[in-house]
Amino acid sequence: MKSVSIALCLLAALALPGCKIVKTVAGSETAAAEAGEAGDDARIKALLDKTYDAELLPLIAGTALHLADLRVAIAAGLDTAGAAHGNKGSGEGAAWNFAVKGEGKVVEANLTSRARKAMLDTDGDGKADLTLQLGPVIKGSSLRDVAPFYKFGDFRDQIEFAKLARALNDRASAGLAVPEGDLAGKTVSFSGTVDLKAAGDPWLVTVVTLAVAP
Amino acid sequence: MILNRRLFVGSLTAAVAGILPTLSFAQGKGTIAIITPSHDNPFFKAEADGAAAKATELGYEVMVLVHDDDANKQNELFDSAIAAGVKAIILDNAGADASVAAVQKAKDAGIPSFLIDREITATGVAVSQIVSNNYQGAQLGAEEFVKLMGEAGDYAELIGKESDTNAGIRSKGYHDVIDQYPDLKMVASQTANWSQTEAYSVMESMLQANPGIKGVISGNDTMAMGAYAALEAAGRTDVIVVGFDGSNDVRDSILKGGIKATVLQPAYAQAQMAVEQADKFIASGSTGVEEKQLMDCVLVNADNAAKLETFALSA
Repeated sequence: MKSVSIALCLLAALALPGCKIVKTVAGSETAAAEAGEAGDDARIKALLDKTYDAELLPLIAGTALHLADLRVAIAAGLDTAGAAHGNKGSGEGAAWNFAVKGEGKVVEANLTSRARKAMLDTDGDGKADLTLQLGPVIKGSSLRDVAPFYKFGDFRDQIEFAKLARALNDRASAGLAVPEGDLAGKTVSFSGTVDLKAAGDPWLVTVVTLAVAP
Repeated sequence: MILNRRLFVGSLTAAVAGILPTLSFAQGKGTIAIITPSHDNPFFKAEADGAAAKATELGYEVMVLVHDDDANKQNELFDSAIAAGVKAIILDNAGADASVAAVQKAKDAGIPSFLIDREITATGVAVSQIVSNNYQGAQLGAEEFVKLMGEAGDYAELIGKESDTNAGIRSKGYHDVIDQYPDLKMVASQTANWSQTEAYSVMESMLQANPGIKGVISGNDTMAMGAYAALEAAGRTDVIVVGFDGSNDVRDSILKGGIKATVLQPAYAQAQMAVEQADKFIASGSTGVEEKQLMDCVLVNADNAAKLETFALSA
């Protein structure tokens, strides 16, 4: 085995001077760069163009439980609720991700931060019980992780996978029309995604649709 | 160094004995090699300890080796492990590209490798690659940093060792968040190679050149410790420092109001998980899980630092 490979190496070495390898190498380097990090943005954009409107938004619209129903389901056990209505992010310790829709009254809003937020009272007790992320900076990866068709194993590494999450957040936030002025006291309806590692975690919703009642 | 060599020779002897189970150790399941960067960094020691404890518990001998982030040395260690006929290799590798050949070499010799902490740039070579979601962790650290900074101000970044894929991943994760805040300005960015002493001198010069600095975000905890020591020496304990790893040193600093936050990688649990998968693979030829597996990181700050011990948070 060893002698065969040595012979092959020798053959290859002997054959080399006769080869025109310059062109091929250049070609394969470009291909490698495209498959590598340099091609990420283009690849992610293509993936988003293909899946965001056609698959992700319909998935969220189709599987979103109303807030009250989702709360009931989770109260009975996060894992059970997750298996029935959600999707688990990749890896050990990852959160359950749910699509959710509902409405509530804005108790407090921070629209001056780059990570704009509105805190909602959704059960009528006058206290905020849920936070809507209104962008442009959006935390987390629940838009990616709610979708079973975005799988970590299909990506080169965690960088490329993370770029997908960021691109999804950017796309969602770009599609939101957040009204100027004070939101406090207004009633809003929304749909989006939420990720929970424990049943008692605070709800931080990544919003894909938002409507403020006049 | 001497200690390592002694450990190495001792383990090697054990390993050689281990490959003749029918003759000497009828009960033994063979040896698992555990190869990591230097244990000078407690993170890697926790990995090695976690893996060794689990392997011993499951009935294996262990061979604990360190490659000191030197791919050539790692290559030699692989040769030794292969020669010793180990049943599996648990590896925190010495370079994402450079390690592929070594892992392939072990595979060709019929020895499966289970990677922890750092990815390699090829799939289908190692059986498992269990890595902390460094990008997610870095985003957590950055979000906390942004909050502490009040979304504005000059800051510096300390970057890890270039050959370590996680240095780049963390830096990208930090910037993914921080760069979305135009009022946060990075005035200095430099590698300190994961080293505490190097971070101390890098921080000193950064501070001289940028006295207006308000925060420092560091690629790991040892560099955060070095940076904070330099800031302390300069009377600048007002500077916000955020690290990464979740070491006991940084925990203690957080509890004393020094460093503000870090991000825990579950190193001990991760190493144990790799050994469990190795055990399953050795017994059945399959781990039952996908090759590439992520583990989420957790933010550690003054709220939960007291629960942190040896790279694990108690409930």
